[in-house]
Amino acid sequence: MTGSETGVDRPARILIVEDEDNIALALSHVLGREGWAVKRVVDGEAGLDAVRTERPDLLLLDVMLPGMSGYEVCQAVRLEPELAEVKILMMTARGNAMERRKGLALGADGFIAKPFDLSDLLDQARALLAGPAEASNA
Amino acid sequence: MHEWMARKLSLRLRVFLFFAFVAFGGLAAVLLGLWLGYRRVAEAGVESGFVFAGLVACCGILGLVVWVWFLFDENVAKAIQKLAGGMRARAHADIAEELDHAPARYLGDLAPAAQAITGSLTETKNALAEAVERETTRLAIDNARLQALLGDVPAGVLLCTSDHQIVFYNGQAQEVLSGEVDAGLDRSLLDYLRAGPLQNAYARLVASEDSDAAGDILCAGMVSGEVLAGRMRLVHLPQRSADDPGYVLTLRDVTTDLELHAGREELLEEVFERVRRPAANLQTVLDSGAAEDGNGRAALLGEVGVLTHAITDLGARYDAARGGWWPMEEIRASELVDSVVALTAREGIILTAEAEKLMLRCDAFQIVALLTHLCERLSNVIRATALSLRISAEEDGGALVTIGWFGDVLQVGLLDGWMDVQLEVGLSNVTGRTVLASHATEVWPESGAIGRALLRLPLRQAIPTDRAPAVARRSAIYDFDLMDREPTGALAETPLRELTCVVFDTETTGLLPSSGDEIVQIAALRLLGGKRIPGEEFETLVNPERPIPASATEVHHVTNEMVAGAPTIAVIGRQFHKFAHDAVLVAHNAPFDLEFLRRHEGDIGKRFDHPVLDTVLLSAVVFGQSETHTLDALTERLGIVIPPEARHTAMGDTIATAAALEMMIPMLEGQGYRTFGEVIGAVRKHSRLLKDANSPDKVPG
Repeated sequence: MTGSETGVDRPARILIVEDEDNIALALSHVLGREGWAVKRVVDGEAGLDAVRTERPDLLLLDVMLPGMSGYEVCQAVRLEPELAEVKILMMTARGNAMERRKGLALGADGFIAKPFDLSDLLDQARALLAGPAEASNA
Repeated sequence: MHEWMARKLSLRLRVFLFFAFVAFGGLAAVLLGLWLGYRRVAEAGVESGFVFAGLVACCGILGLVVWVWFLFDENVAKAIQKLAGGMRARAHADIAEELDHAPARYLGDLAPAAQAITGSLTETKNALAEAVERETTRLAIDNARLQALLGDVPAGVLLCTSDHQIVFYNGQAQEVLSGEVDAGLDRSLLDYLRAGPLQNAYARLVASEDSDAAGDILCAGMVSGEVLAGRMRLVHLPQRSADDPGYVLTLRDVTTDLELHAGREELLEEVFERVRRPAANLQTVLDSGAAEDGNGRAALLGEVGVLTHAITDLGARYDAARGGWWPMEEIRASELVDSVVALTAREGIILTAEAEKLMLRCDAFQIVALLTHLCERLSNVIRATALSLRISAEEDGGALVTIGWFGDVLQVGLLDGWMDVQLEVGLSNVTGRTVLASHATEVWPESGAIGRALLRLPLRQAIPTDRAPAVARRSAIYDFDLMDREPTGALAETPLRELTCVVFDTETTGLLPSSGDEIVQIAALRLLGGKRIPGEEFETLVNPERPIPASATEVHHVTNEMVAGAPTIAVIGRQFHKFAHDAVLVAHNAPFDLEFLRRHEGDIGKRFDHPVLDTVLLSAVVFGQSETHTLDALTERLGIVIPPEARHTAMGDTIATAAALEMMIPMLEGQGYRTFGEVIGAVRKHSRLLKDANSPDKVPG
């Protein structure tokens, strides 16, 4: 299904939910350079609204957000069946195994610990955007 | 004839008649001699007549005196000795049987009189014993309480004399002190802990003005080098001189704590070390403005790479050690679940619960409080119904706690709010979040099957119950009499009541060690002043490395199959030598048992040069040499009962020998032998009976 979306000639749309400006700036720059359409919001509430209205292909979600946490956003997205096609990649500065488990249990598709190499992030993002094809091969 | 006389005539009259008999018998012999001599004068002359008369008179008198002496020895001297032995035995030990007066039947009223006095002594003793018994029972109850309390103290508690001999220890202390043998009464603490810190602390406390002062010490174990934190406090007892008080030592194994602290310190130091340099470099590169060109950029990226790697690596190590500092205990998953069910029931919440057979390592009180709190919120806030709780094993060795219910999935935001509420655990600032942090875990909602919603909470460490470690022995062992003992001096001056003895017995393939007979079983008990020390026993089979003859098996019931897997005497001998370290060896017919051991001193690598007491010889000292001194005879005399099935088992005979020793010590004291040296002196007089095993050189090799 997602394959048909990426299949058509329109850039994949990525929503970044990140309260730190510096990293958001860098991420927007790098992801934009890949040819993807990038939008950034600064907190969880705005993020959830944006997911509902824009239906991005990939949600790049920070865990530590002012107000609503990344986990809450992730759970809320996963509770709405019409948002099922949105891929979620969570980012956290405290990436221990338990948090990874929690994130994945709440419905995230990927989990990446800060600090990370940008190439790692790009690899994961590409894999998620091309996901269903790989999953069906597996 | 004797019997009739003994019954009819008084003792004085009988003694008078004996002497009258000797007098008239002598006169009769002289008259007979004279008459026969006079008859010879006619045939052989006057000279020969006189000689013949003299010879007949002398032989007659001699025969008469020998016969009378024999009667007196048999019926008077021996009888008195036996009677005296019996009376002495009753004076110093509790023997219930009546005095045997058969040997003294010719001594008139002496035997009945002795019987009467021993009888009344027994009665007095019984009355006294009853009074003592009542008092003892009361004391025993107090002691049992004290023992139960101290046995359950989580720290090792020891009471030692001024020369570091152990007088009291609890089970924890035995766990904490590791040495070649388990810590035991009257063993030196210095065999288990390095002497320096103990002696320093002791000297400091003795020198201190404040008699109630306590000193903290940190000392290391002798064998495995574990680190123990301890607190020493002097004990001033009224009966001891103030110069050398004993002390109480509480010990805690802090090896793990110290390792944890050291590990954290090291990690922290490494964090600064590995972050400081790249941070400083980054600043320098940026300040210099070199970042614009290609080289500067490469430099920046290099430093950032180092920094990133360091933080990732250190973070992972921090996570692995997280939660390690919080005091955790081991608890059965089922008990944890039961507590939650009980607590939620008080809130009117019905919870169905199940747990796999697991031991969880956690702060059970906090986890129970958290789970109860969650159930209560689920029920009251989101109206969850049909609550369930389950603890299951996870593949990674942890456990997973799952709360399930019918109803909506729990919002993470709501859960986060609940996690910030203070829990009622008796500590301030404990919230769900801090409990999660100290257990290095997280909690999250999930949706389950058939319309159920779930909460998951993993716990990192769990052990299946069948592999759970043994619980520490809960006991406290003591002999406070040791406190009153003078510091150990020369063995010869040590009173019998203060001797540390190891009573032992062996079962063998035969009676001739010199022809290749070997030990098949050894049993031993440690005694202090004749009293058994609870738990200090030694019993083991030994592989004799030769077949056991059927005749021997018939006696001791040890078969070839039983010893097939047992260690050889080289191994057992070493263990036994350690068990008997610093003690007097006691056995019934000690040279026999010792010879089996001494023949193997080469393989064992130790010399059995202990001081030795032999209960055969002690019996000879106490009861006189003319008695029989077999173990059966001795125990029968002392009223000790060996169950027939225990006779000729190593432990059965050892217990009997130990009981005989315990009863003979007061008898020896009654005869004036109070110290080990005095007893050995008395024993030497009887060495015709047996070799004294204290002179090992004389034992044929």
